[in-house]
Amino acid sequence: MADFEPRIVAFVCNWCTYAGADLTGTSRIKYASNVRIVRFPCTGRIDYMLLLKAFDEGADGIIVSGCHPNDCHYTSGNFHARRRWIMFRSLCDFLGIDIRRIKFSWVSAAEGAKWADIVNSTVSSIRELGPYEEYRKIVKRPAKEVTNG
Amino acid sequence: MSKIGVFVCHCGENISATVDCAKVAETAGKYDGVTFSVDYKYMCSDPGQTLIKNAIAEKGLTGVVVAACSPRMHEPTFRKACAEAGLNPYMCEMANLREHCSWVHEKGDPTTDKAIDLVRVLVEKVKYNQSLNAIKVPVTKTALVIGGGIAGIQASLDIANTGHKVILIEKDPSIGGHMSQLSETFPTLDCSQCILTPRMVEVAQHPNITLYTYAELESLEGFIGNFKAKIRRKSKSLDEKLCTGCGLCTTKCPSKKIPSEFNEGLGMRTAIYVPFPQAVPNKPVIDRKNCTYYTKGKCRICEKVCPTGAIRFDQEDQIVEVEVGAIVLATGFTIKQTDFFPEYGYGKHPDIITGLQFERLASASGPTLGEIRRPSDGKVPQTIVFLSCAGSRDEAKGIPYCSKICCMYIAKHAMLYQHKVHGGKSYVFYMDIRAGGKMYEEFVRRAIEDDGVNYVRGRVSRIYEKNGKLIVKGADTLLGAMPVEIEADMVVLATAGVANEGAEELAQKLHVSYDPYHFFAEAHPKLKPVETNTAGIFLAGACQAPRDIPESVSMASGAAVKVAGLFSQDELTREPLIAVVNRQPAPVYSSCVGCFLCVSACPYQAIEKEEIKDRSGAVIKRVAKVNPGLCQGCGTCVAFCRTKSIDIQGYTHEQMYSEVMALLNEY
Amino acid sequence: MDELRKKAGELLEASAVKVIIGYENGSDGKTRALFAEKPEETARLVFDSRCVMNLATYVTKKEVRNKGRIGLVATLPVMRAVIQLASEHQVDDAGLLVIGITPESKMVEFKDLAEVEAFVHRYQIEIDSKQKEMLDKLEKMTPSERWDFWIRELTPCFKCYACRAACPMCYCHRCTVDFNQPQWVPVPSHELGNIEWHIMRAIHLAGRCVDCDACYNACPLAIPLNLLTKRMLLDAKEHLGGYQPSIKADHLMSTYKPDDKDNFII
Repeated sequence: MADFEPRIVAFVCNWCTYAGADLTGTSRIKYASNVRIVRFPCTGRIDYMLLLKAFDEGADGIIVSGCHPNDCHYTSGNFHARRRWIMFRSLCDFLGIDIRRIKFSWVSAAEGAKWADIVNSTVSSIRELGPYEEYRKIVKRPAKEVTNG
Repeated sequence: MSKIGVFVCHCGENISATVDCAKVAETAGKYDGVTFSVDYKYMCSDPGQTLIKNAIAEKGLTGVVVAACSPRMHEPTFRKACAEAGLNPYMCEMANLREHCSWVHEKGDPTTDKAIDLVRVLVEKVKYNQSLNAIKVPVTKTALVIGGGIAGIQASLDIANTGHKVILIEKDPSIGGHMSQLSETFPTLDCSQCILTPRMVEVAQHPNITLYTYAELESLEGFIGNFKAKIRRKSKSLDEKLCTGCGLCTTKCPSKKIPSEFNEGLGMRTAIYVPFPQAVPNKPVIDRKNCTYYTKGKCRICEKVCPTGAIRFDQEDQIVEVEVGAIVLATGFTIKQTDFFPEYGYGKHPDIITGLQFERLASASGPTLGEIRRPSDGKVPQTIVFLSCAGSRDEAKGIPYCSKICCMYIAKHAMLYQHKVHGGKSYVFYMDIRAGGKMYEEFVRRAIEDDGVNYVRGRVSRIYEKNGKLIVKGADTLLGAMPVEIEADMVVLATAGVANEGAEELAQKLHVSYDPYHFFAEAHPKLKPVETNTAGIFLAGACQAPRDIPESVSMASGAAVKVAGLFSQDELTREPLIAVVNRQPAPVYSSCVGCFLCVSACPYQAIEKEEIKDRSGAVIKRVAKVNPGLCQGCGTCVAFCRTKSIDIQGYTHEQMYSEVMALLNEY
Repeated sequence: MDELRKKAGELLEASAVKVIIGYENGSDGKTRALFAEKPEETARLVFDSRCVMNLATYVTKKEVRNKGRIGLVATLPVMRAVIQLASEHQVDDAGLLVIGITPESKMVEFKDLAEVEAFVHRYQIEIDSKQKEMLDKLEKMTPSERWDFWIRELTPCFKCYACRAACPMCYCHRCTVDFNQPQWVPVPSHELGNIEWHIMRAIHLAGRCVDCDACYNACPLAIPLNLLTKRMLLDAKEHLGGYQPSIKADHLMSTYKPDDKDNFII
């Protein structure tokens, strides 16, 4: 397991967490390179189906992050998102999907350091959990050859 | 088939120090649909942009991915460059190789691999990008200003002076607001009315301003540039055209014992009244709650004495509908009354008054003609105590914020008292003295040093009456919390400035957000202090937070500039990154089933119901429709829609799906 | 029963409704939906414990609506479904009259949907004790055990969509499972396609499910897929204060409270 590098997909809103991650960069704070960020206008736009797709595609962990309550650029997108997360997370748990692999967080545009912490802690906790074999088994995808071109 | 160009920027060495840019470009060049791929030292420089433009022209690119810094930094730059080369700007995406990659990871293969992933994801996304055109909405060049205090007056005049029409509504019978109640103003001690009333008259006479006093907003619909407002003009029981403002009715009215709002209850007014002599308009209204005719059915004296026959007892409220393009909210604030304070006697003692009541006592036009006399017996108080932070900065009272204006007006009050009552003793209990502002600190120093006001740092725990004196018990924290007891003749509480009653309802009517204290929320605390989150609605003055006069006026002028800027165009251009409900050919029309659950999910009330009709006009189907003027593009509805009938341009289902599917596809 | 037949006949006679939807005897001792358009056809109406199908599923169907105003024989879950449908703008008084049957099997008449709503609100949505037991049992398992349980249960599913067809709340004209640009849910009936379909179905019913079990009753493989929606019902109650279908109130999942549960967010 020592050479296991977790694959983490982050679904973030444009106004807070994406900007926060920009600040991590401008502050030159180093963090694990395992994360790939997907930018959304708002956490309210993040479709739970996309989280499932990330697992389908081989993600070992997922981060969903947006503006703190009351900070939403669109006033209430994050509040709507939070309600959906409550239900989605609980359903996943009920189905036996390992919800330790889905991290929800609020990271503001000023919290560059927090973003680095969240990525690092997610990477290390997923590293401990190991690859998401259970899910991988149902995907049953033949190992893809790199077909770029 | 897409023809995508990938442009990898070194950003000097900012990216290339840790990312192998040549490898990124080389790998990207092999992707399906990528026909051109290159790395370059500074993509945002002129030669860099030219590189992109030439590639678009020469290779006939249909999409562009610039792998450089954060799109929050340079997306507009590169989109503009694409547009200049004839490619729709929304066919350009940016991969964030700097902030999200090179700056945060060490040099090495994993970092380059990540950069490659980030580029691939956006190549896949851009394949599904669509040409979008900026949205144009017409602008009605009339502004609605709500609230006729100094902020509303200033905003109205500033907008009107740019040549645009203004409708100013004020809920009271006269404009002027709290400023008209003030005696003198800090830090110059010039008379408030002397500087305000010319402005009020200017409003009344300005050809571009329509003034509705005794009027309130009934409802509002529409969006930036295109609002429709209903204004309730409360009945004044008066034909304003006939009334000459002679004032005979107000002298003859038999109901003379009504506490005057203008004098904060320290003076009386009649049932038919003009709130103060300089009121604009200077015409009376009948206060129906206190008028004998309305309460008992008899009297009508005013009608008998009116020389022009202007009284209209049967006049009803009138609803005026107006179309406006922008709104300035300047509804101001109010203050807590003395009954809010159990420790200071629940407002039962007449000689414990608010700061605003003191203003009326000190005002030459006030109930005592400017002499400081106590309300209970009219005696001149020989010892007076001022309490700052009465309610403010007090978590326990639910008002943790600083009311901001009190430190200054208390210094002014104490100064005015010292000027008017020679030999009198004045004390100010304070927590801190907050005198930030031009000439403000000097003003406070003057009160202390020149006028001999005694400043005591500490809070007052209790005030009670004993032998005709008000015993003020406090502590001096600068003397080790030594107990202080003052026998005062009068106490002035600088009570907290709070949002108006009904501010919440008004905010909901306008769909603007408000803070936990019901002050209206600005769009950004620093960079958008006069905007609200609702496009086209602006804030001025103390409705946003407690503000003093210069700040209110600056905000009002700021809001006016925003309105004027909006009105300088015939059409508004907006980013087309908004939600759209799909439309399909008959007989489906749309995959939307019309459950309209999205309507309540939308933070902007931007989703409407559309009826699809056949030729005879019969409704075939009801489906959702997004109003492009109101939609701000959050996409909350998109993730909510079960049939995926709503999509958001720039972040469509296909775009996001392909992004996610491409993220990890080396696996 | 006679009372029900009489009332249904009268309504058709008076043209107050154009079609009565109720239950009649079907094959194999089961009941099936009856669409009575003539007063004499109402003699075929039956009502007993076999009548578990949620007839509200028909009121959104174009073929039925085109007949004119519907008279619907409705048990409590059916009435709940009707109110939920009304809140989602799918039915209204002009198109639907409810002939209620109380949990005590008594017929009850309603003037309009508002009265139906008032009746519905007299009962809380309660999860059957047997099912609660099953939920508790699953709850006690480790996530891996639950995962194995569900994979085992869902593997046989061949996506016949009987659950969707039986559900009164699945009235969309185009279901997202049929969406292919992009293909959100894989078409094949392998574990992945199955689990994603059932997650999607459950999420779409969050805050809307009326707990009628029609999905489970319709499933030819008796997959306990209603446990998913029941779990969401419990979650709605536990975390979001629960819900009752109501015509005017906002929907559980399209609204929020600023102080919704936050403890899982870092």
